[in-house]
Amino acid sequence: MAPLAPGFATLGNLQTLLAYLLPLLVAAVGLTLVLVIGGMDLSVTSTIALASVVGGKVMSAEDGWLAGSPWAVPVGVLGMLATGAVLGAMNGVAVAVCRIPAFIATLTSMMFLSGLAIWITLSRKIGGLPPSFLVLGQNLWMAAAIAGVAAGVAHLALSRTVYGRWLYAVGQNARAAWVSGVPVVWVTFGTYVASGVFAALSAVLFTAVLETGNPEMARDNLLDVIGAVVIGGTSLFGGKGSVAGTFFGVVFLALVDNSLNLLGLTYYTILMVKGGVILGAALVDSARNRFAGGAG
Amino acid sequence: MNACAMKTLAVRMSGSLPALLLTNLLLCLLVASGCGKPSESTSTSGTAQKASLTVGVNFETLQTEYWVAGFEAIKEELKKRDIRLVESVADGDANRQLQQVRTLVTRKVDGIILVPKDSKTCVPAIKSANEAGIPVVLFNRPASESDGIRPVAVVADNRKLTRETVQFMIEEARKTGRKHKAMLIVGDLGDMNAIGRRDGFYDAVKGHESVVEVVAEVPSEWNQEKARAGVVNALQVNPDISFIFSSSDFLFPSVVAALKSANKYHRIGEPGHVILGGFDGDATAYQMLVDRYLDATGVQDVYFEAEQSVQALLDLLAKKEVPNLIQDPGFVIHQGNLEEKKGRMWGARVRK
Repeated sequence: MAPLAPGFATLGNLQTLLAYLLPLLVAAVGLTLVLVIGGMDLSVTSTIALASVVGGKVMSAEDGWLAGSPWAVPVGVLGMLATGAVLGAMNGVAVAVCRIPAFIATLTSMMFLSGLAIWITLSRKIGGLPPSFLVLGQNLWMAAAIAGVAAGVAHLALSRTVYGRWLYAVGQNARAAWVSGVPVVWVTFGTYVASGVFAALSAVLFTAVLETGNPEMARDNLLDVIGAVVIGGTSLFGGKGSVAGTFFGVVFLALVDNSLNLLGLTYYTILMVKGGVILGAALVDSARNRFAGGAG
Repeated sequence: MNACAMKTLAVRMSGSLPALLLTNLLLCLLVASGCGKPSESTSTSGTAQKASLTVGVNFETLQTEYWVAGFEAIKEELKKRDIRLVESVADGDANRQLQQVRTLVTRKVDGIILVPKDSKTCVPAIKSANEAGIPVVLFNRPASESDGIRPVAVVADNRKLTRETVQFMIEEARKTGRKHKAMLIVGDLGDMNAIGRRDGFYDAVKGHESVVEVVAEVPSEWNQEKARAGVVNALQVNPDISFIFSSSDFLFPSVVAALKSANKYHRIGEPGHVILGGFDGDATAYQMLVDRYLDATGVQDVYFEAEQSVQALLDLLAKKEVPNLIQDPGFVIHQGNLEEKKGRMWGARVRK
């Protein structure tokens, strides 16, 4: 690929690529858990936006609630994570307890949270974030460590724990899982909470990278996040998926963007090639599943 | 290949999906590099080697005619000056825009013309470029002043131009001798330009409540379908609305559709005419002016902005003094000055 895309195999470009994909990776890992149980979380990007606003409101040196305080950053980050957990819990209650279809419940959350984030800020972006917060996203080692730990924990939980097996069981057949003694309601609830926390962690990285608490943060990334998870092999019907696959899905999408830009193609060509690449990947994956299934 | 071989291949493939994806990407890139038209260009193919400068142009979006016209105007301006161009579009994503600007830095462009997603999230991108010694000029949207950066911005004064446009509409309303119920269609309130236009509208209306009473504010989020639904709803609640300002001309097709379905779309001078105003100066607005449906629109002088952006970048590269804010005065175009001003209206030139 390097010979095709000038500047691709440079340290600067690798850093650019990583800085771009790490926040997406964290959000996509959270969504992977939800898709594995056969759910959907369309509110991921709205959660990121609201958590970003909460962080900005707490930490901003301009008019933050804890402006200038040494507690601003820890309280701000905890506030962002707590925001994600609360929003995830709301989705969890709606889906697991009230039995509202996940698509509708999280679509409603998405609309409500987007509106709330804009209402809280009156559309204004929040700047003046403390340097000790910005380093979380702008120092690549730090950002990679945060994303790596988050993805690693999710990977271990999914592949090495009883909780992980419960997720797959719920995704394959929730009723059979319940009959087998899996606490389906709690598993579903907990998974949405986890998705909210991962989205909030992604907000920490996004907000630090872009130096702004932004009510529109990641608004246009929803399809990227869902696309990366699905390209990574997680089934939209539940019961299948892995964090490793999602990692490669995110890398794949980021590479497409990055390489096509480096090739210097026009915007319109990039859109067409990107669509073609993703369609090709989906077709290959579909063929792989079809023939591998038949072989088994 | 027989079925058995296919199955064997598929089973082997099942363990290497990432490799497959990347192989697929590589193949597509090969095709693209052969078939796609590279965006690096100069005035003529024969002069490519003469071009001494390369400028990166990054737009936040090409969603509306205005941005496309701006993009083309900058390309044209660069072409005139024999400057090589590298382009990218962030598709509305601030994080992607940061990545793309850093990619331009990696490609060692001489300067960058940037349409930022918004005034604050572009700050890290500008810092990245400046740290590499690459000057940045912002086209049509300013950035917040921040530590270490003082970017040059070429912008229209959205608030002032909207105020002038709506003031003209109010004078037209006053001539009818009756009070008008008004509707404002606002843009995406995450966009500073949309906020400026909303504020400009209210600046103009303030003090003229005896002529214009605002009864509806329709949020569009810069989405034509949302605008259409909002206007339809507002007209159902207030069927006597007779004064509409749209924060962008690109929403006019939605407004017209809603007015037609309410049987309220009439030419200026005809009974039941709704006083209409907009902002941008696109091709639809030009045609509506020619057809006498539109009373006025605030025109951003896209050619002035493109010329000033390129000139500012060249001045920065030549280490000359450049003001941080270069204002596009814009102008209000209406039935009274259409012939005189249409030559500077980008929508009229696009229409040709």
